[in-house]
Amino acid sequence: MAYQHNHGAVGSQVHAHKADIFCRDETRVDWHSKALWTLREKRDRAAGSIPEWEQLRQLGSDIKLHTLTNLAQYLEIFEQNCLANGIKVHWARDGAEHNRIVHDILSSHKVKKLVKSKSMLTEECHLNPYLEQRGIEVIDTDLGERIIQLAKMPPSHIVVPAIHMKKEEVGDLFHEKLGTKAGASDPLYLTRAARAHLRQQFLSADAAMTGVNMAIADKGAVVVCTNEGNADMGANLPKLQLHSMGIDKVVPDVDSAAVLLRTLARNATGQPVTTYSAFYRGPQPEGEMHIIIVDNGRTEMLKDKILAESLKCIRCGGCLNTCPVYRRSGGYSYNYTIPGPIGIAVGAKLDDTNSIAWACTLCGSCTYICPTKVPLDKIIFHHRRLKAEAGQLPYGKNGYMPLVGKFMASPTMLNCSMSMARTALRILPGSLLKPFSGAWGKYRELPVAPNSSFEAWFKQHRSL
Amino acid sequence: MKIALFIPCLVNQMMPDVAIATLELLEKLGHQVILPEGQTCCGQPMTNSGCFDAARSTTLKLLNAFKGVECDAIVCPAASCLVAAKENFHEFDSSPEAQAVIDKLYELTEFLHDIAPIPVFRKPFAHKISLQLSCHGIRMLSLATPSEQMGPRFNKVEAVLAKIAGIEILYPDRRDECCGFGGTFAVDEGAVSAKMGKDKAQAHAATGAKYVVGFDPSCLLHLDGMIRRQQLPIEIRHIAQVLNAAL
Repeated sequence: MAYQHNHGAVGSQVHAHKADIFCRDETRVDWHSKALWTLREKRDRAAGSIPEWEQLRQLGSDIKLHTLTNLAQYLEIFEQNCLANGIKVHWARDGAEHNRIVHDILSSHKVKKLVKSKSMLTEECHLNPYLEQRGIEVIDTDLGERIIQLAKMPPSHIVVPAIHMKKEEVGDLFHEKLGTKAGASDPLYLTRAARAHLRQQFLSADAAMTGVNMAIADKGAVVVCTNEGNADMGANLPKLQLHSMGIDKVVPDVDSAAVLLRTLARNATGQPVTTYSAFYRGPQPEGEMHIIIVDNGRTEMLKDKILAESLKCIRCGGCLNTCPVYRRSGGYSYNYTIPGPIGIAVGAKLDDTNSIAWACTLCGSCTYICPTKVPLDKIIFHHRRLKAEAGQLPYGKNGYMPLVGKFMASPTMLNCSMSMARTALRILPGSLLKPFSGAWGKYRELPVAPNSSFEAWFKQHRSL
Repeated sequence: MKIALFIPCLVNQMMPDVAIATLELLEKLGHQVILPEGQTCCGQPMTNSGCFDAARSTTLKLLNAFKGVECDAIVCPAASCLVAAKENFHEFDSSPEAQAVIDKLYELTEFLHDIAPIPVFRKPFAHKISLQLSCHGIRMLSLATPSEQMGPRFNKVEAVLAKIAGIEILYPDRRDECCGFGGTFAVDEGAVSAKMGKDKAQAHAATGAKYVVGFDPSCLLHLDGMIRRQQLPIEIRHIAQVLNAAL
């Protein structure tokens, strides 16, 4: 099948093409799909253990909608309270400004090594290469993040970024980079090796940086959730700590954060809560704490009533785990830093292949999974409409869709050609039909054609 | 009751047996059934591709086929098409006449559960069946509680079928995971669609059931193609065909 690139940049390929390559290794697809489905099953058990689960989802949605509706006000309250707590607050319009601010802070402190933990925002801003080009060593300290950093790959999932790698592959990587025994793939052994390696990094770092799960307006504090304690090890060792957050991360108060904390880990991995949920509300003695608040397209998204709801997301990754397409096409097929349903929701506009909005069957599972009720299927559907209105359709749809519309609207045309098609399906041998049956017949048997349409049958058997 | 049939183009052209079974079972239940002329596509392939302009004309033609038709209910044996018709009618026509049509639209299972339940089945259907809980039926029409949702559960499809003597209702592993049809997705994203279909077909076959039974013909047609390609020992049946055989 030939794919139409409307605005295809060099190197970008449509989702279907990348997915097709991923699907060629079926054993791997099955393994990938099962690993993620296991997380979905754990989530179901954890959610099912809370009698008020559906009320919590509604509450989570209400809290986020309320905050987004009054966003300017809450961001100002947050800033004032941060300043009162001795925290320095910076505002960044986009990724470039964010990176400049971070670099300015680091270089004014002559930072050579930065330990970093869990931040999809810094991935979104491409911070690591920016700092590395300017001579600052960046060490990602979450185990998964460190694995993909050593492998020089972007994350393939927002919570479990190295989910696409098998333990044997991690063993080979650690052997090469960290000097573990050749052929060793025991997870406990590899984790211990990573721990020893990271401990050295923590002790020798000049500054630490984390993402933010929630920013609490009335306290001027940020919440950082990890399972490994690495964010806290980082933030508590060097005297300089930085936290980057999108404007969508703010919530009114601690009670609001507590609601989201009850659903976040349960929906992500089936844990009741993350092992470490740290609240940072000021610098260490003689230290400095900076918070960088980033827009990077979020205000623009807020202007569209449907797209705005994607900013309710708390990045649990539950929608990726349940998505039947993500599980079978992998995190690298989406042409955006964030894959899966939420990646389409926040990334489709930037997708120069114009195809990720169609990497979805609109099954709606993600919408029912979401702990803040982001209407993901509705948002993806809406993106398709926006793309169509801008004339940016994939897979040749610009050309054939108007024709299909005309064809379907004409009962005569439809009846005549379908009757011909049914005849062809009945009398022609399969081998002759195959070249004409395209992507349908490549994977499936063609339908067994009936003799007549129901309409014709009805006229014969029921008409007076 | 007087019932107007809404037979989507796919059923009319490719699965007339499903429409015949729907007609026969409604007649056996004592309803008067008519087939309004001039029905076209509900516009779903176009709107799901984002192409609302291309959908307008066919959607309005379908709507016009039902406007002013005297009936108590409009019944459709295809959940996905029904959902699309409801949404697209609403999208392109805000008149009271359009609303009157929308208010009468029912998917077959929904109709037999909520509006006119089947009092008694006369014949047994002594087979194991594996239920295909298609996405739009459960997540947009609320035919059953989706697996993602917590709390009290219901299942209208099982409730309607369970009254048949001898029937044994089973479910595939990952019971309501999408089968991968998804309209034009089936050809745009052929590899993923086929893998989803293969997994779903195998999960149905693994139950040991004789039939995969569902309420959405498009998903069934896709599964049928996957089942026959893999030569799995299971066949597709629409719920109307099972109900009709037991009446």
